[in-house]
This record gives sequence, structure tokens and C-alpha cells, in this order.
Amino acid sequence: MNRFLATILLVPRNIAVLLLRGYRAVISPLYGDVCRYYPSCSHYALTAVQDRGVIVGGALAVRRLVRCHPWAEGGIDDVPLKRVQRYRVNAFGFVVAGQGKG
Amino acid sequence: MDLISIILWPLKWAVELLLVGWHWVLGVAGMDPAAGLTWVLSIVGLVLVVRAALIPIFVKQIKNQRRMLEVAPQLKKIQEKYKGKKDQFSREAMSRETMELYKKTGTNPLSSCLPLLLQMPIFFALFSVLNDAQHGKSGVGPLNETLAKQFGDASLFGVAPLHSSFASQWTLMIAGQPFDAAVMVIAAIMVILMTASQFITQLQIVSKNMSPETKASPMFKQQRIMLYLLPLVFAFSGVAFPLGVMFYWLTSNVWTMVQQFIVIRNMPTPGSEAAKAREERLARKGKLIATDGTVIVVDEEAAKKTQRQQPISKNRAKKQIKPGEQK
Repeated sequence: MNRFLATILLVPRNIAVLLLRGYRAVISPLYGDVCRYYPSCSHYALTAVQDRGVIVGGALAVRRLVRCHPWAEGGIDDVPLKRVQRYRVNAFGFVVAGQGKG
Repeated sequence: MDLISIILWPLKWAVELLLVGWHWVLGVAGMDPAAGLTWVLSIVGLVLVVRAALIPIFVKQIKNQRRMLEVAPQLKKIQEKYKGKKDQFSREAMSRETMELYKKTGTNPLSSCLPLLLQMPIFFALFSVLNDAQHGKSGVGPLNETLAKQFGDASLFGVAPLHSSFASQWTLMIAGQPFDAAVMVIAAIMVILMTASQFITQLQIVSKNMSPETKASPMFKQQRIMLYLLPLVFAFSGVAFPLGVMFYWLTSNVWTMVQQFIVIRNMPTPGSEAAKAREERLARKGKLIATDGTVIVVDEEAAKKTQRQQPISKNRAKKQIKPGEQK
């Protein structure tokens, strides 16, 4: 039952994951490699949404996009790690219920 | 108003201001305000302003690229370290190390996606301005109803209205209604020209302005894919977008091409073909300054030496060295 509830709760973030995967597969390659940060903004957004969900993760992603401009220092900028990893990420990137490494 | 139109509103306003501004200037200069050419040139003016505003970003990128020479040895070391390792984790570690090096030395050659992202809303803004103008709707700001109607009806080369697209004419043709073949022909020509300008720009970069380090990197392959993907994007948008939007894009592409040409000629990437060509050119004119400040002059006579150097055996070579010259 708990698992079922979690799966439903995870639906919005998985929709976001699907969209981000689509963007990274279709639109990102058109730009080539342009991001001044590692991971790139879209990769950051994907991880943030997987870890924190659409609202917090989305806010993190927006903050990153604002920081990423031609005068930014750039460099390595990972998503702040969450202390408790509640869910698992499968091979495609979907977030699924169950303990495991993030 | 939905969210997107709220975000686009200020941009639409700016686009309209620039268009109307240029239109006014051209009108004052003596051009017929209702003529298609005046509006087409207004679009060109819009491109000029937008691209000129992006020049500082471009210059910064070039400056960073020139500094790449300083970190080239370190970059090479990283590439050697991960040579042949194609798995995901090695690739990631390599990207991390490269990025760290860029940050440490302040030589990040990438410009972020902002310059690209910035152009996209302008594009959409122009699209919606033209789309509204097509229905004789006035814009959100400086483009009033009279001007909007004039703009929408203005035609490229006097035959193809700026607001019409290949797709709209195609629909008319299929429906058996009168359609404008000129629009379709011009749209097709523009797609070809855009593809050509894109190819030339990319080819210039790849064949002349890339250091061997960049050519060895995995990013390079991705850029090649882009080269073949973009014509498809152009073809698709060439069918769907109004001619005015296409014209903006085409002019912008031509600007990129010329800008790239100037940069490659005058500020080539260190270590690239173009850099060598520039050094030779300067040396011939006696203008090449070495790092220690001395002027390097290429001796053309020496370069023209045609007689083959005869190979000599080790023993003879030893004999040829006079005792005084030995160290």
C-alpha cells in the first residue's frame, strides 16, 4: 500500500523526468557543448528533479539556469546531496519507490 | 493572458519598438513606408541590433579561447589519462577534471546557452508579431494597427508577403484555391541559403579554427552530428514559419558567417590551421611579433630552396663537423 502511494506521489516528477530526457535527447545535441558548468544545466535539472521532485528540484534548476551566463565562473556544480535517499532511480532515469542508491 | 504571452510581452514590445524604429528611420531617409523593401530592411536592422548586442559575449568567448593555449598541455594530460576509456564513468570523470581545470585557470571556452536562449524568445516574439499582423491585429506596443497591417502585407521582393508561409500556401493549393507560388519558391530558396550559410560557418570552424586538442575531444563528434541535423531543422521551419521570421533567421545566419570569417582571420584559435596561416601572413609582412617582443621575419629565399639535401652516413657526418664547432 505504501509502495502504491509512493508510485502515485512520484508521477509528477516522472513526467518531468520524461520531458527532460526528451529535451536532452532531441534539443540539447543541437546546441553542442555550451554549458560552463559540469554537470550541464539539463543534467543538473534531471538530477534535481529526481532527488527533490518537481517543485524543489525545479526551483534548483531555475536557480542554476539563472547562474549560468557568459560571465559566470563555471566549474563543477552538483545538485546539493540529499541526506536520506528515499527512492531509487531506474536505468531510464525514472524514480521508483524502494530504498537504494540515488 | 497565459504564462508564455506574459513572458513574451516585454520582448514583443522591444521587437516591435526596434522594427517600428527602423521603419521610421528608413521612412525619414526617403523610402516608401508601405513598400515591402522598407519592412524587409527593418527586419535586417532588427538583426543588426540584436547581434551587435551579443558581440561582447562573443568577444569574451574568443578571448577565453586564446587563453586555451596556456592550458593546452594540462588539457592534453587529462585526455591522455582517459584515452581509450569509453565507459560512462570515465567520460564523466574526464568532463569533471576538464571543467575543474577551466575554472582553476579561468579559461572556460564555453559561453553557456544564454546567447542561444536569448535569441529564441526574440524569434518567437517576431513570429507572434507577424502572426498577429497577418490578421491585421495591432501589436502590444509601438506597432499600431495601421503599421501592423502594413507590415503583414509588405512583401519580399515585391511578390511574397512576409506573413505567409510555405505551409499556408500549400494548404491553399491542396484546397484548390488560388495560391502564391512565389512564396513557396522563396521559402525553398531561403532554406537552401540557410543550410549553405550554416555549412560554410561550420566548415570554416572545423577545417581552419580548431586546435588538435579540440578535434580529439568527444564534443567534436557531437558538433558533426549537428551539422547534418540542422538542415532538417531549417527545412521543417522553412515550411512552417512566415517568410518574415525566416528572413530574420537567414540574416542572422549570414551575420554569424561573416563574424566567424573575421574572427578566424584575425583572432584564430591558437594551434589551429588558421593561426598558422595568420602567422605566415604576418611574417611575410614583417609584422609578426614573437613572445619576447622581437620581430620574426620569414626568409623567403631559404623557404624556396629546391635542391634536395643529400643524405650522408654517420661517419661522413662526423667528418664534416670541424673540430672547432664541436662542443
